[in-house]
Amino acid sequence: MSKLWLIAKDEFRRNVYKKSFILALLSVPLMLAFNVGIGLIVDNLQKDSTPIGYVDHSGLLDQPISVSDPSDAVPILAFESEETARESLQAEEIQAYYVLSADYLTTSNVELFYLEEPAYNATSQWNNFLQFNLLADYPPQIAQRLIEGTRMTIRSPGGNIEMPAGGPTLGSMLPLFTSVAFVFLLLFSSGYLMTGVIEEKENRTIEVIVTSVSTTDLVVGKVLGIVAISLTQLATWILIAVLTIAVGGDALGLTWFQDISVDWLAIIKVLVIALPCYVFAAGLMFTLGSTLTEAQEGQAVGSLFFILHMLPLYMIVMIIENPLGIQTTLLGILPFTALLSTGLRSIFTDLPFWQIALSAAVQTISAIGALWLASRSFRLGMLRYGQRLHIRELFRREPSLAKRSSS
Amino acid sequence: MHAVEINNVAKSFGPVKAVVDVSFDVNRGEIFGMLGPNGAGKTTTIRLLLDIFKPDHGSVSILDGPMCEAKKNRIGYMPEERGLYQDAPLERCLTYLGTLKGLSKTEAQNRLEPYLERFDLAQHKQKKVKELSKGMQQKAQIINTLLHEPELIIIDEPFTALDPLNTQLVKDVMRELRDRGTAILMSTHQMHQVEELCDRIVLIDEGRDVLYGPLDDIRRRYTGHAVLVRVDGELPEIEGVEEVAPHNNSVRLTLASDVSPQQVLQDLMAKNVTLEKFEIALPTLDEIFIRVVEEGES
Repeated sequence: MSKLWLIAKDEFRRNVYKKSFILALLSVPLMLAFNVGIGLIVDNLQKDSTPIGYVDHSGLLDQPISVSDPSDAVPILAFESEETARESLQAEEIQAYYVLSADYLTTSNVELFYLEEPAYNATSQWNNFLQFNLLADYPPQIAQRLIEGTRMTIRSPGGNIEMPAGGPTLGSMLPLFTSVAFVFLLLFSSGYLMTGVIEEKENRTIEVIVTSVSTTDLVVGKVLGIVAISLTQLATWILIAVLTIAVGGDALGLTWFQDISVDWLAIIKVLVIALPCYVFAAGLMFTLGSTLTEAQEGQAVGSLFFILHMLPLYMIVMIIENPLGIQTTLLGILPFTALLSTGLRSIFTDLPFWQIALSAAVQTISAIGALWLASRSFRLGMLRYGQRLHIRELFRREPSLAKRSSS
Repeated sequence: MHAVEINNVAKSFGPVKAVVDVSFDVNRGEIFGMLGPNGAGKTTTIRLLLDIFKPDHGSVSILDGPMCEAKKNRIGYMPEERGLYQDAPLERCLTYLGTLKGLSKTEAQNRLEPYLERFDLAQHKQKKVKELSKGMQQKAQIINTLLHEPELIIIDEPFTALDPLNTQLVKDVMRELRDRGTAILMSTHQMHQVEELCDRIVLIDEGRDVLYGPLDDIRRRYTGHAVLVRVDGELPEIEGVEEVAPHNNSVRLTLASDVSPQQVLQDLMAKNVTLEKFEIALPTLDEIFIRVVEEGES
C-alpha cells in the first residue's frame, strides 16, 4: 500500500474512533429526531377531538351534509338553542359552539363561544363543514374542488424544475439539503484536519512522519482521509434517515416522506461542485493548521470560513428573485459561496450546464491551489514551534537546489 | 563514501541566523557526537540534513547524494521529545510508523515483538502511549527509530529520562548497530555518554562548528600543561610547578611551560616520594565544552 493511502487510512481510523466524531455522527440524526418528536408532540397537544357544536338560526344547516373527514375528525353537533349549547359547553361536552344568525346568508355573521380557545383542527373542520354546506346545491366533486382550491404547479421552461404554488416540495429541496449537509460536513471534518495538524505539530509527531513520507503524500493522504470521514458521516445520516422512514415512517407520521420524488440530476450537479469545494476547504484548513500555533486560534479563524460558506443564505431574496442573474451566477461560481448558492438556485431554476461546468472547474482549480498552499505552508511552517508563518513567506521563492549546492 | 557529508551550510529564519556555517561528516560504522549549548543550531542542522528545511547556502549529502524520498526508508530519526501518537496504543502506533518506513504490516509486527521484549515493553504494548512513563516512551521512540533497520540513524538526546539500566541497554544497542556498519549521529548534552560512545564529535556554537574531529585529538589539543598526582604522605615542593590545586582525591600540578611531565616524575622519584597515581591531566569533554563556549562568548 502506498504511503499516501497509509496516511489516509490512519487519518480515517484515528478520527472515527474519537468520541467527538461519534458525537458529531449521532448529533444530527438525534437533533432531527428530537425536532420531529417535539413537532409531533406539539401537534398532538394542539389538536382536540372534543366535539364542537353549532346553533343555526338561518336554516342553512337544517339538513347538513357531512364532509368526508379523516379518522381524527372532530364531531360536529347541532343544538336546538343557544341555552342547550351553552350548558353543553359548561359541562365540557363540547369545546366551542358557533351561532349562525338568521340573516347569515346575506351578512355571513357567525358568533363563536368558548371557554378556552378551540383547537385549530376543530375550527378548520367547522370552516370546511360550513363551506361544504353552502355549496350543497353543486355536485359533491365540485364542492370538494372549490373547498380544496386549485392545485397549481409552477414549472421551469425546460420542465425539469417543478414546484407547487404553495412553495418548494421536499423533493425539490433535496439539492439544498445536500449542499447544506456538505457545508456542515466540510466544517466539522476539516476542523478535525486543522486541529489534527496543529496537535501533531505540538506533540512533534509530524517531525517523525515527515522524515518518512513526502509532503505531498502527507497532505493529500490526510485530505483523502478526511473526505472518507465525511462520506462515512453522510452515508450514515442517509442510512439512518432511510431506515427511519422505511421502518418507522407510519408510526412517526412520516409517510409523506415516502413519496418524495428525487431529482437526481440536480443532486449530481450539487455533488460535482461539493466535492472540489470540500477539498478546497480541507486544503485551507490544513494550511491554517500548518501556519498557526494554537488549536484555539485555528478554530477562531475557521469560523470565518463558516460565515463565508453561509453567505448565500444572507442573499436568499436575491437568489429567489433572480436565480439566473449575474450576481447570483457569480455566487454560484466563486469558491466558498458556490456550494450553498448552487443548492439554493437548484430549487428555483434549472441551472444551465455551462454554469455547473464552469463552477466545477473553478472549484477544482481552487482545490488544487489549496492543496499546493497546504503542502507549501506545511513545509515552511510545520516545525516553527511557537512562531507564526507569514502569508508573504508562503509565496516567497525558496533557494534553488543549484544555488544551494554551488555556494 | 561518508554516510553524511555537510559542507558550509547556513540557514536563517527571517532575521534569525539559526545555522551560520557548519561542516562535518559521519562515517559508516561510527557513532558521531554532535554537541552544543541550547540554541546553538544542532536541531536545525539535523533538519537540514533530513531535508525538512532547505539550506540557504552549502551542500548536504546523505547516503551518497542529495536527500530524496527513496532514502527516507534508509534513515531512522528520533526527535528530542515525544514524536509518537499519544492516544494510540503502543503496538499500533509503532506498527503504523514502521509501515511508513516501507515495512509491510506483518513485517513491522514481526520485527516489533523482539524489540518490545528486549526493551521490556511487551506487557505494555496495548497501552496508549500517553499512559506510559517518560522512560518507556523514550524506549518506544528508540524502537521506532530502529525498527526498519536503517543505514543511518539520527538520534537526538537518546538517554533522556532513562534509568542507568536502560541507558546501558541503549548504549549496547547503539554499539551493536555501529559494529554492523550503521552510521549513528547522536546529538546530546550528556558529555560522559559522548566520551563513552563516540569516536568523533562536532561542537556547534552560535550556528558554527567550533570544534570538530576525533575525540582523543580534541582532548589532547585542550590538555593543559598539567599532571594529576596522588602520593603517600606529604607532597614535597617540586621545581617548575606553578600551581597546586586539589582535584578529586589527587592534586593537579600546573607546570611551567619549559618543564615536562617526565621532569616532574623524575624529581618526585628522586625525592623518594611513594606515588599512588601519576597521569597527564586530560580535560573532560565537559571542561572542553565549557571552555570553548565561554571563549566563544568572550
